[in-house]
Amino acid sequence: MLNKKEEIVDKHTEKNSRVAVLNLAGKRSDQWSLLLVSVGENRDRQAFGQLFKHFAPLVKSFAQASRHEGWFPGLSEDLVQEVMIKVWQKAAGYNPEKASATTWIYTVARNCRIDMLRRKSNTQHLPLENEDFWHEPDEETPVSLLRQKRSEDKVQQSLAQLPKEQDEILRKVYLEGKSHAEASSELGLPLGTVKSRVRLALQKMQILVAPELQDELIHD
Amino acid sequence: MLVEFAAGTLETAASICVSAHLHFCKQCREDLMSLNEVGAKLMAEATPEPVGEEVFDSVMAAIDGKQPAKEPQDLHSASTRFPFSVSKLISGSATTLTWKRLSASVDIARFKTGQKEFEVALHKICAGGKTPKHDHHGLEYTVVLKGSFSDERAVYREGDFLLRQPGDVHQPMGAQNGECICLSALAAPIKLSNPLGFLMKPWLRTNPM
Repeated sequence: MLNKKEEIVDKHTEKNSRVAVLNLAGKRSDQWSLLLVSVGENRDRQAFGQLFKHFAPLVKSFAQASRHEGWFPGLSEDLVQEVMIKVWQKAAGYNPEKASATTWIYTVARNCRIDMLRRKSNTQHLPLENEDFWHEPDEETPVSLLRQKRSEDKVQQSLAQLPKEQDEILRKVYLEGKSHAEASSELGLPLGTVKSRVRLALQKMQILVAPELQDELIHD
Repeated sequence: MLVEFAAGTLETAASICVSAHLHFCKQCREDLMSLNEVGAKLMAEATPEPVGEEVFDSVMAAIDGKQPAKEPQDLHSASTRFPFSVSKLISGSATTLTWKRLSASVDIARFKTGQKEFEVALHKICAGGKTPKHDHHGLEYTVVLKGSFSDERAVYREGDFLLRQPGDVHQPMGAQNGECICLSALAAPIKLSNPLGFLMKPWLRTNPM
């Protein structure tokens, strides 16, 4: 019993120290990630309040950007509520090593938005939530963490430098929720052009490493 | 395809197959983390929309009334080596998941996913089993979950993700050393050239609307 308790304490401090290391490295130093950890570990209401102030308006903006079929503006605040409740409930599972708070909350928002749409459109029941698709655990090897860190920096720097047409496509896909096919008919561009713009953008951001080594299909 | 998956715009049946592939593919999992960051950055850079105090209050009220969601870990440990989404589909349809003989060497178990455009199912090919040569009328996504199979073009192993286009003809064959289980999502074929087409057509003609 005692041993078990010690172990838990050890894990706890270890986790804290890893957070600290990341901070010293000057990276995951953002206050949001620290606040989210605090919500997860201490059920810290004040920290949650701060997160809410910052993220709820961003989630609302993300909701309003949706151009999904069946989406209407009235759903935006529902989504904000659903997302922020999930953030509170799932904060304990947040690992600052794997993602920044912003990325983590984005994934929660994206999953909730899809689930809301599925609930509205499907007459039959799908026994899966979107987060189930993302349940595959990732090994935390130093290499993958390093890669992760680097790619995060790259995304930060290079999104702003994308040509307008590539930026436009990414926004359509991520914010408006358009599939490549929908984006192509909307912009009056061949599907191949849409795909290559997305690909060029990601290559410019150096997100897809050595694409020639990878399965063309799934990265298409 | 991964971009659409990360953005949440990929069709549901295809998403199930991608998620099954992720179980086996570290490279894709890592790429997806980066692709998530793109979405996050786009969200974070947008102009914030004011959210009223009352929304915060109702969130806090909801939080106080709810227990923290428990992680569904038991499902993972209890399951086989199958991907989480597939395990959940299997356990979600425990009473209805039934294997049906499709041919001498192939069994099929269909999932209820509420998808109209795609049929999501497991296929089991027995060791060394030859499947009938067949054409594809619509898109078909396949992920090998267990064992391996081959066709005229290649050998496909655990985790491999395949896409068959309409018009692709192939004859998969199970590996000799054990049964092969695949997850597949097959686009519902909308075709008038089915075996009963010749019966339908005259009837359609005599019923002008």
